[in-house]
Amino acid sequence: MIKTERSFEGVYLALAIGALLIAPFILTESYTRHLLILALIYAVVASNWDLSLGYGGLFNFAHLAFFSIGVYGYGIMAKSIGISPWLAIPLAGLLSVAAAMIVAVPILRLGGIYIILVTFAFSQLVLQIVVSQSDITGGNMGMVGLPPLKLPGYNFVRDGKLGYYFGAVILLLSSTFFLRWLVNSPTGLSIVALRDNADYAVSRGISLAKQRVITLTASALFTGIAGGYYGAYIRVASPDAFGMGLLSLLLSILLVGGTSTIYGPILAAFLLTFISEAMVDLGPWRHMIVAVMIVAVLIFYPGGIWQAATGFNEFLKRRLGGRVARKTSAQST
Amino acid sequence: MTAETVLYILVSGVVLGSLYALMAVGLALVWTTLGIFNFAHGMFITLGAYFAWTVADGNGLGWGLAAGIAFSVAALAALGCLAEAVLVRPFLKRDNLVLVAVITTLAAATFLENATLLSRGGRSKQLAPLAEGNISMFGIGLSAHEAAIVVIAPLILYSVWLFLQRTRTGSALRAIAQNQEAALLAGIPVARLYALSFALAASLAGLVGIFLGGIKFMSPSMGTDPMVKALVVVIFGGIASISGPIRAAYVIGLLEAVCIYSIGIYWTQAALFVVMIAVLMIRPTGLFGGQRA
Repeated sequence: MIKTERSFEGVYLALAIGALLIAPFILTESYTRHLLILALIYAVVASNWDLSLGYGGLFNFAHLAFFSIGVYGYGIMAKSIGISPWLAIPLAGLLSVAAAMIVAVPILRLGGIYIILVTFAFSQLVLQIVVSQSDITGGNMGMVGLPPLKLPGYNFVRDGKLGYYFGAVILLLSSTFFLRWLVNSPTGLSIVALRDNADYAVSRGISLAKQRVITLTASALFTGIAGGYYGAYIRVASPDAFGMGLLSLLLSILLVGGTSTIYGPILAAFLLTFISEAMVDLGPWRHMIVAVMIVAVLIFYPGGIWQAATGFNEFLKRRLGGRVARKTSAQST
Repeated sequence: MTAETVLYILVSGVVLGSLYALMAVGLALVWTTLGIFNFAHGMFITLGAYFAWTVADGNGLGWGLAAGIAFSVAALAALGCLAEAVLVRPFLKRDNLVLVAVITTLAAATFLENATLLSRGGRSKQLAPLAEGNISMFGIGLSAHEAAIVVIAPLILYSVWLFLQRTRTGSALRAIAQNQEAALLAGIPVARLYALSFALAASLAGLVGIFLGGIKFMSPSMGTDPMVKALVVVIFGGIASISGPIRAAYVIGLLEAVCIYSIGIYWTQAALFVVMIAVLMIRPTGLFGGQRA
């Protein structure tokens, strides 16, 4: 079962990359491209969250704080200090990694619901600090006019944001390769082992504390970079990035996509970003409809849309296989 | 610091503590029986205030505050049952129930907040206080409304405690919290009691909303902030018992009052979170928590 999935992975991946490369030339409208860029960034954030929450089984609710720290880190470094945006974005990633190390300390001894509560409290704490330090972060108003990404003689926003689009594609691809490599590596397997049976895994010599730190920091790296990239694209760092709105959007991307799949959240990021934007004229109704949809998907597709997609794949295979079987049985009679 | 200031801090701490205790008990009740954390709890607070306003206020039906409170508590109980049936029951058999419940209750909170916004508008409203006027005690004055909260909240908490300790239904709820399978074997209707604990938690949250509506202006998102505080309280007190969060609520209320006085309102929230994280590092099951993690 795992074998067959593997052998198809390359084919589907090539198709997906092809689609990402062609998409901007079909969807030329600036607003559609904007949505695509947002979806790509959300896909990075959600699939990295999948590492800690899905594979690691750590109910880490500070993930959004890692993203926001990336956004603010970029803002402070690129605007206030004046570091080149190209350097500030990876540095934003490292800043999030540092934050992840800090979060990891209090939760090393905790389990289940307490991890949710502490990580949630941590992000509230970061939010409080950001709001109260208005000299540095702009307080409730946030920071505006962050430096955009530029190459000599080329602003990324030109040609209908084409530069930002491909930048985001590269970001998603490198993040996804990193995640796939990590979860298939011995470290990734030991993270999953800890999730499935902590006592057994620990008795086999896996360090719970060390793996938790690795899981959190690894999931923060590309999340922080995505935060920095988001800051360079939107050019605003605002406390809204910590809000319940973005939190539930990303969490639903993750759960509707299907946890412990990495590809599921990526797929769901595109789906949910576009569905949500398509209903933007409906005002409050939009949030209500999305909320109902999320609960419905969770009731009817427990494994998310990724499970539905693989289910369809299995169905196709069974139909093809069935036809072959019937043919051979007809021949034998 | 004069004795008056100390008394003032004490009283405002007890007012805050009373409200937090009512909220935290609801959260802890749902957690102990169902094993999930209800993020829609804050919206139950908001709806409690809005239901009461709709029935009580002159711009609504205008039937007076008593009718408003009665209707609000009943409506919240019904809503609690409904929430349990839609948001929790379909997922009870899943391994990742805790996580799924987080997203379904968050989704419900979004749904209810926007529904409130649609039907009642974003403009701030205020609920009539429980009692008019001010009273002064020991040289400090406080509103009769706040005095009423300080008196009523412990009474409600005490009756919840009596209900859990002295009635058959209450014992059944505690039995489920301790060992669900054994409770099921003993013939306890576990599914029905899940709905009951949700309903009870929701009506307690509704009461908090009514109390808050008489102090602050009401808005569709008025429940979010108190819910975050209640979260701190349950972590601080240990979520796996009912008495832990109650004691923690008063501790946090007093701590907050002291912090607001000494370091200002901006840093108070941050200080509370730091204290809470520190407590958890030393005692992973909360300050008053037992061994259950």
